[in-house]
Amino acid sequence: MEPYAIAAAIFGATMLILTTLELRRRRIRPLQYLFWMALWLALILVGTVPQFYSALLFATEALGMYTPIHFVTTFSILILFTLVYLLGKRIADLDEKISLIVQHVALRDATTETKNPKKEK
Amino acid sequence: MGSLCIIPAFEEEATIGRVVAGALKHCGAVLVIDDNSQDQTAAVSRQAGATVIGHVLRLGTGAALSTGFRAALKTDSEIFLTMDGDGQHDPDQIPNLTDLILRDEADVVVGSRLLSPPAGMPLGKRIGNRILSATTSLAAGTQITDSQSGFRAYRREVLEYAIHQARDYRWASEILILAAKGNFRIREIPVAAVYLPQRVRGTSIKDGLKILYSTVMR
Repeated sequence: MEPYAIAAAIFGATMLILTTLELRRRRIRPLQYLFWMALWLALILVGTVPQFYSALLFATEALGMYTPIHFVTTFSILILFTLVYLLGKRIADLDEKISLIVQHVALRDATTETKNPKKEK
Repeated sequence: MGSLCIIPAFEEEATIGRVVAGALKHCGAVLVIDDNSQDQTAAVSRQAGATVIGHVLRLGTGAALSTGFRAALKTDSEIFLTMDGDGQHDPDQIPNLTDLILRDEADVVVGSRLLSPPAGMPLGKRIGNRILSATTSLAAGTQITDSQSGFRAYRREVLEYAIHQARDYRWASEILILAAKGNFRIREIPVAAVYLPQRVRGTSIKDGLKILYSTVMR
């Protein structure tokens, strides 16, 4: 096994454990967990199972790419762009919800204050 | 016909008391929306006679006004005024804005800083304002010379029909376009504005580009 393959496998295994812990703490959803698990398993397999690397080589050639690294980087970038887009959308949704809550609380407090006026100190 | 003045404020402790006191001379009540100021804005406003509604997080001028409009619609006032808390607008000009609504000549009255020679308005802001006003006029289908003015009066029916969604400075154009689409009459009157050199807040170039984009995309 080449050193880079060992490093990739160790990194993949570590991340797999961390992601599983996050799932157990309910900090990520099951669907998100499946996505990350597939990614870390692929990394471990590339490092440890030579046949998997051959499959990657086949996919690389089939797609007209020069080396497996082109295949990995191209798809990694595509996945990252998708993740950035989804995260941006999620942040915008949360931002919107926070605003609604802040406005709701402000209006509710105003109503309560009108019903139960407090004396100014 | 009762009128209510709505003032969005963020860290305006130096000026808000004077603005509230001035507005109370012409309006039945004043509502200050404190956008999570860390200074004494809320306390000073209360002392001056305003009702204060506070945001627990800073959301922006548009959101503060939107909260104010929602609160205002729970009152029985028929005319809603908006003005800045930094003392830029002269409260003694409030009757000029409300008169057009009282005479049933308008549903929305905008105090335009650009109908008369805009003394004191920085050149960059004047150019940006002209561009945004031209775009807003196109989107609204009616001539507006100062689409970014926060000194306005609205007939109750306008806010019952629509309240803007924008949380930042985009509210100013958005609500005019919504009112125009609802066939409400928009009129402008000239107002003077005071620009204090130490105050640098207001619509920035980034805000201007956002307003331009959202207006064009409507």
